[in-house]
Amino acid sequence: MGRSSEDHARVADTRRRWALASPALAIITLFSILPLLVVVVYSFLSPGDFGGVHWKLSFEGWFSVLFERDIFDDTVSLSDAHLTILTRSVVLSLATTVITLFLGVPTAWFIATRPQKQRAFWLLLITIPFWTNLLVRTIAVQEMIRSDGVFNRIMLGLGLIDEPIQMMFTNFALLVGMAYVFLPLMVLPVYSAIERFDFRLAEAGYDLYASRLYCLRRVILPMVRPGVIAGSILVFIPSLGAYVTPRIMGGGKSMMLGNLIEMQFGQGRNWPLGAALSLTLTALVLVALIWYSRLTGGGSRRD
Amino acid sequence: MLDIRNLSKRFGRGESAVTALHEVSFSIKEGEFFTLLGPSGCGKTTLLRMIAGFEPPSGGALVLDGQDIAHTPPNRRPVNTVFQNYALFPHMTVAENVGFALGALGKRQAEIDETVGRMLDLVQLGHLAHRKSGELSGGQQQRVALARALAPKPRILLLDEPLSALDMKLRKEMQVELKRLQRETGLTFIFVTHDQEEALTMSDRIAVMSGGRFQQIAEPRDLYDQPANRFVAGFIGETNFLDGRCEGGQLILPEAEAPVPAAHDDGPVTVMVRPERVVLGAAQPGALVLQAKVEQLVYFGTDTHVHMALANGNTLVARVQNADQSDAACREGETIPVSLPGGALRLLPQEAA
Repeated sequence: MGRSSEDHARVADTRRRWALASPALAIITLFSILPLLVVVVYSFLSPGDFGGVHWKLSFEGWFSVLFERDIFDDTVSLSDAHLTILTRSVVLSLATTVITLFLGVPTAWFIATRPQKQRAFWLLLITIPFWTNLLVRTIAVQEMIRSDGVFNRIMLGLGLIDEPIQMMFTNFALLVGMAYVFLPLMVLPVYSAIERFDFRLAEAGYDLYASRLYCLRRVILPMVRPGVIAGSILVFIPSLGAYVTPRIMGGGKSMMLGNLIEMQFGQGRNWPLGAALSLTLTALVLVALIWYSRLTGGGSRRD
Repeated sequence: MLDIRNLSKRFGRGESAVTALHEVSFSIKEGEFFTLLGPSGCGKTTLLRMIAGFEPPSGGALVLDGQDIAHTPPNRRPVNTVFQNYALFPHMTVAENVGFALGALGKRQAEIDETVGRMLDLVQLGHLAHRKSGELSGGQQQRVALARALAPKPRILLLDEPLSALDMKLRKEMQVELKRLQRETGLTFIFVTHDQEEALTMSDRIAVMSGGRFQQIAEPRDLYDQPANRFVAGFIGETNFLDGRCEGGQLILPEAEAPVPAAHDDGPVTVMVRPERVVLGAAQPGALVLQAKVEQLVYFGTDTHVHMALANGNTLVARVQNADQSDAACREGETIPVSLPGGALRLLPQEAA
């Protein structure tokens, strides 16, 4: 008797938990799982003539992610255009991450070592661009490095250069734009890690014959590492899928994955390829996230 | 071995400057257990941090083995600190923590391992070498912090209130442990605490500090029996203070029945007498005898504190050992004679208290 009433209670409890979780589950299903399923299904269909899809099974979308077929003799070769864009996306995202690391870590350090009262002000300066429209911010950067933009006009005015340096629509322009846009995403988590760091530990290291460099390497960096990794992930993942910045700074010349995907759904009228490319991007992001959880979660679980 | 000469520390500039340490001078002998004792804000931690190298002195010299190290950075001073919060590196194991200094000094791994093993044995933590420091109890962390600071064989070990985070029982154990470590290693310890009992039980010499100045430097017994001033007398142990006057070699207390001889200059004095030296009952020869009304008896197990009121309203506390008196020595409400033996009286210059 006692056992069965206990079972009843457990069943009721389980039911109650499901009931409580159901709104969240419904939202996840509706807005995350179903759309993803649609994308997966579309990637295996044939393109419609004016966009959309034909309900006919085809692997052409996935095939075209990396390969292309010659129009005349049907020979298969690696798709140079897609490969270039894929590698560019990964390389530029990595480069953006590295640049924001080099700029963001010292910035975060600077802010975290200010007196308590001043920190809020510095953090405000870092976050203000965040409240500004991404498009506006990117166009502002464009204004800086355009051929007749601020930088070139100053250099010309000073007589340091004879003709404007062409910077727009290059990988460099893309990097400047992305580093600028994503910098706060690096500064904030690194700042919070440094701010939590107990500087008495650095003092202890210093007391125990460690030079400043040794202390930085053996005491400070290992302790702020989670923040650095979180910042890197926060920069790397949106960089991979960046759309607005490459569109404005790179134009049609320096495209990234995001622009390529958009193109397939727009002018390209190749929805299955767009869907397959989107899933490729998702896979890249997953790889980055798995690497991230290895680096952070794995370390503490090991012991 | 360590000579401190006119060392001073000011924080801030101009009008708002605060003097944390007025010019202090003292010497510490090789192998000594030296304690800086005082209430919080007395400058003891500032002084310790200057010896460690974390705070540059505003003036004066810090001479260790004949060399002025006042402006040498902490990583070049043969001085290590056990921090109040231990400051163990949470991402390292116990062994890595203990070996940190040797690694920073560029010692070979074999030598590091050997020293770490020896240090962990010294603090009886060999079995925990591969734990992360965050997984240890407070007492264990304390031992790791000690081993870590001892591993590079410093000339002086600085201890900044290392026992304040431990509970009473553990603290008593660690007091004995620290004293043992100091004897075994023969190292010079400079110990900072605000706990007078801790200071008395462990130290060879104690410097009592207040307001950024030294009030007295003495061995524990002298500090207790012959405090230099009212602050020291009040800070170390419990004390009765009575105001009196010296005239022609006689000490006159308004409450007392008769004066007693006293070798002191004429003028007002503060008479200090420890509660355990107050004798209840019959008058003794050469003692000040007072009449006191027993107000409260407070039982402490080993002894009883007898709180009494004197005729003029002043209070007097006596501590009576429960072992050598029957419990009915006195009763609350009773008025009894109390003797203050001449040898128990300490005359201090009167201060505006």
